[in-house]
Amino acid sequence: MTPVLEFENISKAYKPGAPVLDGVSFHMAEGEVLGLIGRNGAGKTTLLRLAMGMLYPRSGAVRVFGLSPTEQPIAVKKRIGYVSEDQLLPGGSTIAEIIAFHRYLFPAWDESLERQILQRFALAPDAKIRHLSKGQARQVALLCAVCHRPELLILDEPASGLDPAARRELLETSIQLLNREGTAILFSSHYMGDIERIGGRVILLDAGKVRLDREIATLSEEICIAMVPRASVPDIAAIERIPGCLRVRPVFDTWHAVMEGGPENVRERIENTLGAAGVNCVPASLEELFIELVGGERS
Amino acid sequence: MQIAVSSAAELPLYRQIMRQITDAIAGGRLAPGEKLQSHRELSEELVIAPLTVKKAYDELESLGYIETQRGRGTFVCEKLPRANRADQRERLAETARSLLSQAYLAGLDLPDALELLRKTHLELKPEKDKS
Repeated sequence: MTPVLEFENISKAYKPGAPVLDGVSFHMAEGEVLGLIGRNGAGKTTLLRLAMGMLYPRSGAVRVFGLSPTEQPIAVKKRIGYVSEDQLLPGGSTIAEIIAFHRYLFPAWDESLERQILQRFALAPDAKIRHLSKGQARQVALLCAVCHRPELLILDEPASGLDPAARRELLETSIQLLNREGTAILFSSHYMGDIERIGGRVILLDAGKVRLDREIATLSEEICIAMVPRASVPDIAAIERIPGCLRVRPVFDTWHAVMEGGPENVRERIENTLGAAGVNCVPASLEELFIELVGGERS
Repeated sequence: MQIAVSSAAELPLYRQIMRQITDAIAGGRLAPGEKLQSHRELSEELVIAPLTVKKAYDELESLGYIETQRGRGTFVCEKLPRANRADQRERLAETARSLLSQAYLAGLDLPDALELLRKTHLELKPEKDKS
C-alpha cells in the first residue's frame, strides 16, 4: 500500500551553508497519528510546508499519496487538510462566507459534518472573523480543513495560544475524525501531554535531523533517564560508549544519560560496565525526554 | 464503567487503562460476560488515540481477561485467568517499599512494621487465624 506521506532524505536551506533540514526520512501509514516535536527552529514548520508543496526541497523527495505535492498540487491538496498557527482568515468576512468559499473549492464537502462542528464549537455563522477569539478563529480554520474529509490532516502547532479547554476540544475533533474517516494526522506541537494523548508515534527533530522516532505507548518503558554521579565517572565518553546510550549531558554534579531499556536493566548495565555506584534510573515522560535529548548543558 | 487517565501519571496511558479494567474485574464492578465499550468509543470518551486503547485491549485479551467476538464486540471473559503471580508480586513490592520507608521515617523498626501487618491481617481474616 502506498504510504500517505513519504520524506526521502530531505534537505532544505534558506541560506547557503545553514541547513534547516538535513537528511530527514520517514513514512506515514494510513490512519497513523504522528506528533512532530522539536525546539523552536528545529525545522518542524519547514517540513510541514514541504508536505503541503509550499516549498521545494533542496534535495530528496516528498511524496503525498505517492504524488509530488509541487508537481501535482491540486490532486494532492484535494486530499489534505491544513491548519497552521499563523493562518490568517479575512477579518471582514463572516464564518458563513468563509465556509461557503471552501464548500465551493471542494466538491467533496460534507455539509452534515460542517453542521456538527459548528454546533460542537457553538460558532455563530453570521459572526465576523475579526470579532472571534483566537480559539474560535482556530476552530473555524479546523472546520475548513476537515469538512472535505481529507485523508491526511496536517496541523502546524494547532494548539498554540489556546486555553486548555479549547485545546481539548481540538483534540476531540481530531480523534473523532480519525475514528470515523480514518484520517491520518501529522501535527507539530510543544504540548507534550497532547502528543502523549492522541499521538501513536512521535518524531523528535533536532538541528534538521530525526533524533527519535518511536511508538508513544511504550516509550516510557523502553527509554529511561540514568543519573550518574560525576565523581564516580569522570569521563563523559565512557557513558556515551555504552550501547543504547542516546545522549549524556552534565546537570550540576550529575550526568544525565538517556538510555534504551527499563530502569532496572539500565542501572545494572551502567554499574557493571563502569563500576559506578549510586546510579539512579527513572522512567521518563515525553517532556523529560525532550529536555534531556535536546536541552542544554547545566553546570 | 468509569475510566480516567492522566498523562501526568507515572504509568503509560495504555497501562492505566489495563489496570483500571483489571481492577474493575477484580472488584466485581465488571462481571464476566459483560460488554465493554468499543476501543473507538472509549478513545473518544477519554480523548486519547484509538491505537492506545486498542493496545490496552489487545494486551488484556492476550492475558485472557477480555475477548473480542467478531461483529459483536468486546466482553469480559466468562472464565477469568488466575492472577498472574509474578505481576502481582511486582505491584506488591512497590507497595511494600513505600510502606516500609514510611514506617522507618516514622521511627518504627522492622518488627514494629511486621506487627502492624499481622494486626491488619487479623482485621481482614479474623476467623481463619484463631487456631
